[in-house]
Amino acid sequence: MENQTFYYDNKTVKLFAYATLFWGVVGMVVGLLLSLQFIWPQLSFGIPYTTFGRIRPIHTNAVIFAFVGNGMFMGIYYSLQRLCKARMFSDILSKINFWGWQLIIVAAALTFAFGFTTGKEYAELEWPIDLLVAVVWIVFGWNMIGTIIKRRTRHIYVAIWFYLATFITVAVLHVANSIEIPITLFKSYIVYAGVQDALVQWWYGHNAVAFFLTTPFLGLMYYYLPKAANRPIYSYRLSIVHFWALIFLYIWAGPHHLIYSALPNWTQSLGVVFSVMLIAPSWGGMVNGLLTLRGAWDKVREDPVLKFMVVAVTAYGMSTFEGPMMSTKTVNAISHFTDWTVGHAHIGALGWNGFLVFAVLYWLIPRIFQTNLYSKKLANTHFWIGTLGIVFYAVPLYWGAITQFLMWKEFTPEGFLKYPNFLETVTQLKPMYAARSIGGALYITGIVLGIYNLILTIRGGNFLAEEAASAPALVAVSGKRASGEGAHRWLERRPIQFSIVALIAILIGGIIEIVPLYLVKTNIPSIASVKPYTPLELQGRDIYVREGCYTCHSQQVRPFRSETERYGQYAKAGEYVYDHPFQWGSKRNGPDLSREGVVSGKQYKPNSWHYNHMLNPQKLNAQSIMPVYKWLIADDLDISTTPRKIRVMQMLGVPYPAGFDLTANDDLMRQAELISADLKSQGIDCAPNKEIIAMIAYLQRLGVDIHSAGLSAASVNPVK
Amino acid sequence: MEINDKNPVEKDELTGDKLLSGHEYDNIRELDNRLPKWWVWLFIITIIYAVIYLFVFDVIKIAPHQETEYTNEMAAAGSAAPSPQAMVFDTTMMPLADQAALDAGKAIWDKNCIVCHKALGQGLVGPNLTDNFAIHGCRYFDLLTVIANGVPEKGMISWKTQLTKDQILQVTSFTMTLKGTNPPDPKAPQGDPCK
Repeated sequence: MENQTFYYDNKTVKLFAYATLFWGVVGMVVGLLLSLQFIWPQLSFGIPYTTFGRIRPIHTNAVIFAFVGNGMFMGIYYSLQRLCKARMFSDILSKINFWGWQLIIVAAALTFAFGFTTGKEYAELEWPIDLLVAVVWIVFGWNMIGTIIKRRTRHIYVAIWFYLATFITVAVLHVANSIEIPITLFKSYIVYAGVQDALVQWWYGHNAVAFFLTTPFLGLMYYYLPKAANRPIYSYRLSIVHFWALIFLYIWAGPHHLIYSALPNWTQSLGVVFSVMLIAPSWGGMVNGLLTLRGAWDKVREDPVLKFMVVAVTAYGMSTFEGPMMSTKTVNAISHFTDWTVGHAHIGALGWNGFLVFAVLYWLIPRIFQTNLYSKKLANTHFWIGTLGIVFYAVPLYWGAITQFLMWKEFTPEGFLKYPNFLETVTQLKPMYAARSIGGALYITGIVLGIYNLILTIRGGNFLAEEAASAPALVAVSGKRASGEGAHRWLERRPIQFSIVALIAILIGGIIEIVPLYLVKTNIPSIASVKPYTPLELQGRDIYVREGCYTCHSQQVRPFRSETERYGQYAKAGEYVYDHPFQWGSKRNGPDLSREGVVSGKQYKPNSWHYNHMLNPQKLNAQSIMPVYKWLIADDLDISTTPRKIRVMQMLGVPYPAGFDLTANDDLMRQAELISADLKSQGIDCAPNKEIIAMIAYLQRLGVDIHSAGLSAASVNPVK
Repeated sequence: MEINDKNPVEKDELTGDKLLSGHEYDNIRELDNRLPKWWVWLFIITIIYAVIYLFVFDVIKIAPHQETEYTNEMAAAGSAAPSPQAMVFDTTMMPLADQAALDAGKAIWDKNCIVCHKALGQGLVGPNLTDNFAIHGCRYFDLLTVIANGVPEKGMISWKTQLTKDQILQVTSFTMTLKGTNPPDPKAPQGDPCK
């Protein structure tokens, strides 16, 4: 058979590599700034664009979608071409994929800084950018599948299975979690409310970890690890079993982010058991990776690329054991809302993703520049500093998490909370936060060394943009299964059928969990006293979302004595039915706010307190790490959006009376004037049209409706 | 590469494991190793755990869900939980004067009171406690009552569910010592002058 000559596109790979390095530094430096704000809140600089709630999404999105995302594209664009023995399907699509993705990243960073956010963790992008993400993602999939179809190899390798699962699932997740109705160009309401929104969001959030941070990286491991070690994959069978088990089981586990929440118990149980069942399928990848190194461990001692890979795969194994443990009710009661989760996430991001990205970079850059790595020694230094950085990052947070958990839980012999003031439990953690910052700084130092090493490698090399290769064309054979051909082997030469089976596998779990929440009313028992927000409160709530308050404050009291004692009655599904989006939060650097407005509650603060607190939290308590929000006091509330907001809420089923959109702003001003007058009586001059007035109105509404439903908690919410 | 992969058996040189013929992707080969036994057992055990868990929690429902856990926890705490009714004061009570009690009172003050009354009691959200004016009465008894029961509509929360009676006596006694201290930046007087 005649050999065809073709050229691999290395230019796109190179661009993605540069983008990976650039955004990696940006995302991590923002992370370092965030970590320092825990020690010195004045590092928010008193302006909105650098305040914690707005830059935390910049950090998480930059690391996940910009650093890890570009790293993923880099790895896939290099390996896919070689595994298919074909150039990428279309140079134009490659270009759109690259530049489109960078455009999304820039747009994300800017819009987050300006406060344009949906308030859903890791899905904060507003609707126009969501659309752009969908388009660019489809371009990526189109380009990938096009390449697979014109491949010159009969079967698709396990790495490509993972790439396909990544493409399909992320597309499904992104679309399902971004169905929102626009209010303005940069504001929308998600169609889901409260408990439903929480479930869809964490189904997305959990599986973004699974299918953006895990499956593509398993694919990369399956290509780069055997390449770098020059060893065969340990077990083809293990690849098959753990691949299908992983993608099928992963999608069910989202509810483990909502243990002890108002989510129905049966859904929580599914979240627990599917997480536990994920241990083996996850470890399948680690085992197949590490056992591939059998006979080559002497190389690991020599080769920094393999060192990075071994620690990456080990970090993967650690966090995929830790994750299921954190999903059990016992451990979740400790880890949830504390910094344990943050530590866990960073073992994954810094260890698994970060180290694998650098392993690939150190392996691939010298190849496409036809040279050797500038300095092995420097790469080894990077490896050790990075490893130390991970340890210094995570261990203090675990320590701090357990400390804080114990402080939250401790009662005095008289039956009172030992630490009723939440702030005490934060102040206690400051040394741990400082140690964490040192860990992060070490890790960044390693990256800087890595970049220096790569720049010198690139300088000493000669870039090969078009890499010639040759292979015989694929001869068409029958699509039917040949006699003696295994079913899976058949599927491996039928990528479209393969993709359809994968799609079915990932849809089952989501459908079984999410659909009943819509169809079965008993899943979310209604509470008669829960009423829609007033227009002023709604505007205040949108400011709460805009400022990213959920990045530090939860709105979800768990059914523990220590929490109901501190905050008030525990969360009920029925109290969130008008919340688009839900704002339960996932960690507590400040206290829970869902009972803030209950006048007889322990959390209650008068209007003037909120005013002073937003103006200068440290004036009220020097230890506070709450940022200053003085622009809420200076800025006028934009009420031009009120009618449209009311109409969209009505469309989503919120029972405002017909025609209310036309009178909503009158109602808004009436309420604003009452708050303004109350502030005046306390000696504070604040016009009713300021943003702070709306924010106060919202905070004072929190928990009020559920409180008036009475305290007989169990009778309100007979969830099965 | 053929569909049926019928090539002679090859072995990996280093480990002696069987290589799968026809499985070669950009020079990456695959071995025909079985699933590690311990891994299979790990998987089976987690599946059994899942089945039992769901059966126990959600089918026969003998294990407690969170609402029941909460009820049990509260019942267990029952005797330990404080009863606010026990907090009775009378008008003849006098502030505590011993230093230990006042120090304890200051510690409570620093933790709980300064967010509204400021560190030296000069007032900000709450009234100035150092001047000779009071909204709800000037006596020790009046202050005890306000701290214990709160004045919720004015933003003063009730402390009897967070502090013991002794602690309330301590912090109130400490608060009484602030009178006449003339701290800087005081809030303007509120309420009626004390006699």
